[in-house]
Amino acid sequence: MLSKELVKEALMRALATGADYAEVFAEHSLNKNITIISDKTDKIADAVISGVGVRIFKGTRCVSGSASSLAPEALLNCASRVADALTGAAMVQDICLKERLFGDIHPVKIVPAGVSNREKIEYVREACLAAKDYSEEISQVRGSFVEVDHNILIATSEGLFAQDRQIRSRVAVSAIASRDGENQEGGENHGARKGLELFSEFDPKEIGSRASKQAVTMLHAGYIKAGTMPVAIESGFGGVIFHEACGHSLEASSVALGQSQFAGKLGTRIANEKVTAVDDGTIPNSWGSINIDDEGTPAQKNVLIENGILKSYMVDKLNGRRMGMESTGSSRRQSYSFEPTSRMTNTYIAAGQDEDKDIITSIEYGLYAKSMGGGSVNPVTGQFNFAVREGYIIRDGRICEPVRGASLIGKGSEILMNIDMVGKNVARAQGMCGSSSGSIPTDVGQPLIRVSSIVVGGR
Amino acid sequence: MGIRMTYQEFKEAVIRYAVENQIADYELYYTESESVSVEIFKEEVKGYSTEDSMGICFRCVVNGKAGYASTENRTEEEAKSLVLRALDNADSIESEEKAFIHEQGDTYAVLEENNAAVPSGADLTDAALALQKELYQADSRVADGTQAYMAYSGEKYALCNSNGLDLEDRVACSMCYAMPLVSDGGEMYDGFTNKRGELKDFDLKAIAEEAVEDAVSTIGAESVPSGRYTVIFSNKAMATLLGTYASVFSAEEAQKGMSLLNGKEGEKIAADIITIVDDPLYPDSVIKRTFDGEGVAAYAKNVVENGTLATLLHNLKTAAKAGVKSTGNAGRLSYASVIGVSPYTFYIQPAEKEQSEASDNAVKKTPDGLFALAGEGIYVTELMGLHAGANPVTGDFSLASKGFLITDGKKGAPVKNFTVSGNFFDLLKEVEKVGDDLDFIRGKYGSPSIMVRNLAVAGKEA
Repeated sequence: MLSKELVKEALMRALATGADYAEVFAEHSLNKNITIISDKTDKIADAVISGVGVRIFKGTRCVSGSASSLAPEALLNCASRVADALTGAAMVQDICLKERLFGDIHPVKIVPAGVSNREKIEYVREACLAAKDYSEEISQVRGSFVEVDHNILIATSEGLFAQDRQIRSRVAVSAIASRDGENQEGGENHGARKGLELFSEFDPKEIGSRASKQAVTMLHAGYIKAGTMPVAIESGFGGVIFHEACGHSLEASSVALGQSQFAGKLGTRIANEKVTAVDDGTIPNSWGSINIDDEGTPAQKNVLIENGILKSYMVDKLNGRRMGMESTGSSRRQSYSFEPTSRMTNTYIAAGQDEDKDIITSIEYGLYAKSMGGGSVNPVTGQFNFAVREGYIIRDGRICEPVRGASLIGKGSEILMNIDMVGKNVARAQGMCGSSSGSIPTDVGQPLIRVSSIVVGGR
Repeated sequence: MGIRMTYQEFKEAVIRYAVENQIADYELYYTESESVSVEIFKEEVKGYSTEDSMGICFRCVVNGKAGYASTENRTEEEAKSLVLRALDNADSIESEEKAFIHEQGDTYAVLEENNAAVPSGADLTDAALALQKELYQADSRVADGTQAYMAYSGEKYALCNSNGLDLEDRVACSMCYAMPLVSDGGEMYDGFTNKRGELKDFDLKAIAEEAVEDAVSTIGAESVPSGRYTVIFSNKAMATLLGTYASVFSAEEAQKGMSLLNGKEGEKIAADIITIVDDPLYPDSVIKRTFDGEGVAAYAKNVVENGTLATLLHNLKTAAKAGVKSTGNAGRLSYASVIGVSPYTFYIQPAEKEQSEASDNAVKKTPDGLFALAGEGIYVTELMGLHAGANPVTGDFSLASKGFLITDGKKGAPVKNFTVSGNFFDLLKEVEKVGDDLDFIRGKYGSPSIMVRNLAVAGKEA
């Protein structure tokens, strides 16, 4: 993408005014997004993203700059602009860039850009048609296929020169069921750090009919009555609870500045002893996986919480300097125009010892959250919220009628203590996580869990 | 990766390739921005960032189908690839709705020359450090973790097309964010205020005090018993809700069956006191626009007028399908996005000040007057997790909230960890009172405080 000589010159320029560390991040990406409404292609967005980001550190101070170009003069100007923000004499005299190769632990079989629109459209269309055919109450179906071919180059004043190619594909279907002027929505999606081989792994009809089943179920559901109750949260996207209630508060970007409820709690109990939680960027071909993070550190499997004890944060280089900790391979950015910071990759609650059926039968009156929507958290206070897309009342240990309109709210440190049953079968699901360094792909996951008491919002 | 061209050279190359490929109808949309930001932590500059960005989108219309391709890479090879990618994408479109390249003939507003001084990096840094100092001085409980942030951004939007349109808008403003952290009794509380405008107009002391008050006022907050309450949404909370549901006013969403307002033009969809305005030239806005994402002239209109849906927001495609004129609301989230529909400065019109003070004894000043009118209830000042807890397709919302009790007609104790649930379409009809305190979030969505009776609240056991 850029020559070693050019990158070295940029790094030297960036270091000219006294920085102790410099980094060049260059990117050339192809993004395509095909939208199908009903059963016809409606729009196709097709973008080339290309540019550079330069950062320098002096102690814990960071100066950064970016430019939408891979032209040599754009990179060099950007480096000079960044250096101009400091005043001092150069501390680093020479850099020896050494190319580092990382094995690709996420091999891709069919590169999406090499395949015609037609093939992608036919797959999504099949899913949409299945969704439409599911019920006469389905009034609209929207399908999409997203492909990302993200080429990155990272070089630092420590001598690192590394490149990676991140290919991701995702298919999604959203269905709307309507009756008497009311709408309800259902959705299903699959994504991976893979190419079009993804298509052979999922039956498109199954994706479509699942989306519609959810919409129709919710159309015939009543509103849940609000209250505080035990909740069983299903595996897969249910893991969004850990992502929001805890994950964000374990990112160094919050912890290093003292803005996290879990700052200073390493080695102490922050969760029920049944809870072990992991952030693992190395899971082969998983949606949130990386070979190297956006600072060039190899991906790691980080155990965050082990049997309730806080073991590790997710750390990037800059915040690591504040905390006196090494990077955990957690630095991520949406693109060259965002400054990277510590973020999640594939985060999940590990398998426990409880049987799924025991979790359900243990609840006299409560909510079974079969499918979760997204959520959000304030890492300072730990207050989180998330939406239940498909919920059912549990009465006398049995899953009963569906209910709509439920949301779960609470405080991260409290809910972690209240996860008192953890099932055996972990499943993961895909999401896009938005935060200060942009929107990035992450997996969430867990087995079926029980939260002994939580506020359920409803009517 | 080839020699970088100027935009003018690149534009000429793209047009040459378009003509070579017999494309008669095309458009180039170009954005460019320069921004500087400074972040303060403790008493020092933690981060300083400059961003220089640009992007180009080529859109062609072939047999009524629109094909898009965008790039940031201005080289000869890319100009060729851009045209071919767009052509290929146009060929894959199956939707029968016709797309258009806009004709000349609109009358465009002329923006006043922006004479505001462009602040230097040093000016922004000084202001950010001064704001941080004010934050610490505002209250003894303000703790490390507090951050002040200043930024300046200047943007250019340009559109030219094969019908001879050649348009350009420039917008620029400074932004300031105060994010105090307050520590009390082992618990942390955060506050937030942001302002947009000219750097010299920022009253740093007032901004700091407002942000710290936002944090301090929540100390000791507890949940509320579940039940049904009279709820007053603060101006900013209601603006947040309006912003989340703005897409229900899009003709595109409506035509695709994603908005329950489909076909409701001319019908009563809200209480008589509700008027919703979309104004690209709103006087106090820092983002004024004269044309939309297709080059149609932007203008102000009432979307909801005294409770009646006057119009949905249209682009050329949705307008043609509905047999009306475009309302100039073709939206592009970024230069790389496909065209949709989006509002400009979009707000619920506030009650007139004189009127509310003179004619209604109970209403003194918003929101105090609303508290008196409510008697008992909850004043909701912040709604969280809107992307998950509020659904534009169904209108349902169930949102984590923060605020204050209303007791004896006055603002009472702070409350948190409860949800407010309802349906946006029902809420519009049930608004009982609109205040006069219009305020905006993100410089875009606005509302006065409003009062609604009988909303479901979930908190602790009643």
